[in-house]
Amino acid sequence: MRNSYLIFALFAIFIMNNNAAKAQSGQELVDLCNIIADDATYLKDFQVKLDAAKPGEEKPNMKFSVVLSKSTQYRFSICNSKDYTGKAIVSLYDNNRLLGTNYLVATGKNYPFFDFKCQSTGVYHIFIDFKEGEQGLAVVLLSFVQKL
Amino acid sequence: MLNLHNLVNQLNNMFRRLIYILVLILVFASCKNEKKEDFSKEFSIPDSVLYDGDLAISEAAINDIVQNISSPVEMAALIKSLGVPFSKDYLATTDYVDNYNTSYKKAIGLGVFGADLGYLNMYNKTGSVIDYISAIKTLADGIHVGQFFDFTTLKRLATNNQNLDSLMYISVQNFNQMDRYLRENKRSSLSSLIVAGVWIEGMYLVGEVARRSPSAELTEKIGEQKIILSNLMLLLKNYQKDPSFKELIEDFEEIQSLYKNVIITYEKGEPEAVEEDGMLIIKQNDKQFIEISDELMFKIINKTAAIRNKIIQL
Repeated sequence: MRNSYLIFALFAIFIMNNNAAKAQSGQELVDLCNIIADDATYLKDFQVKLDAAKPGEEKPNMKFSVVLSKSTQYRFSICNSKDYTGKAIVSLYDNNRLLGTNYLVATGKNYPFFDFKCQSTGVYHIFIDFKEGEQGLAVVLLSFVQKL
Repeated sequence: MLNLHNLVNQLNNMFRRLIYILVLILVFASCKNEKKEDFSKEFSIPDSVLYDGDLAISEAAINDIVQNISSPVEMAALIKSLGVPFSKDYLATTDYVDNYNTSYKKAIGLGVFGADLGYLNMYNKTGSVIDYISAIKTLADGIHVGQFFDFTTLKRLATNNQNLDSLMYISVQNFNQMDRYLRENKRSSLSSLIVAGVWIEGMYLVGEVARRSPSAELTEKIGEQKIILSNLMLLLKNYQKDPSFKELIEDFEEIQSLYKNVIITYEKGEPEAVEEDGMLIIKQNDKQFIEISDELMFKIINKTAAIRNKIIQL
């Protein structure tokens, strides 16, 4: 009898511990990213979870398309989950041309956010992958800074 | 001695029962929290709100379609940045929210009221916000996405006139959550209607402001909607076999035909990345020229107003 309620108690502790050590959720990352975005007004969030790149294969990535408007300054904020090693690289494209990214290869500097001063209304593409193809979970927040 | 032994046994049994009860309470409390986190995933979708027509493109491809087609924040920010005073006259009335009695009407109404909420929030008009969040909650419940609209928090923020940035943040995020849920659960048709509602109401607001306080920025904003509308039409035409969508598409095509005379040209420039005060800024350096006559702009404004009024006239 003593054993049965010992097992019962251990089971309960296991369930509670499981809850306490719960991974960082997408919503927590969105809220965190909104703080990083500072006084910019939240518009959209893009949640990305990617597996590690397999040897000899290209890094996995995800693409999102958004409409951005002329004479508007936008902010792209990036938040990486602490549960994974991967650091997200966000690249912004118009049709086929890279406009900018939060990771500058030349300096090796990784920015937690970058602003984009849009001068042409249209569809833009956001590509997200993880540095060196590591496994990762991240949220990219698009916010409105100001009219230019 | 025997009595003492019985008493110890009884106490022991009581103690065991107490431990069982305590453990059970903890286990149930723990499970309850978990359920709260994931309740959206377990939400059942009634067949009546699933689109069962043939799709021109797959649901997966729809998920890949352009986002941020119409943003209530950006439209309202433009109007406010021009120093134009707030006017409640522009807003759609919430008095007849019960007349939005089909999934189609509820979804498009959600978009219309969502755009109005963005306009109210931008001007910090919290007194009127409650009517709109109540209407939105009713419509969202009507298409079974009300669980994503945090009515209680929004109402508290609006009533106490506090933390207005949070009011904007939570309301926009709630709309995004509804949109994501609809797209992920094969109900993209309703998501498209919400986008259409936000767009037509945003256009209406900008148009009415342009009538009273004309400006080059508003004229350009109306002209550039040629690009936005073409993306929106791609989305809507996917559901053209549905009679309600067919009518909406035909109405929007009338606006689109006017836009044929808006000319948009480009001059490409080299983008540059600069660091200012430790902040990375990407400057596009392209130029976009939008040619639209005043006469054409007013034709577009009038047509948009007529279609918007038809949508909200229930």
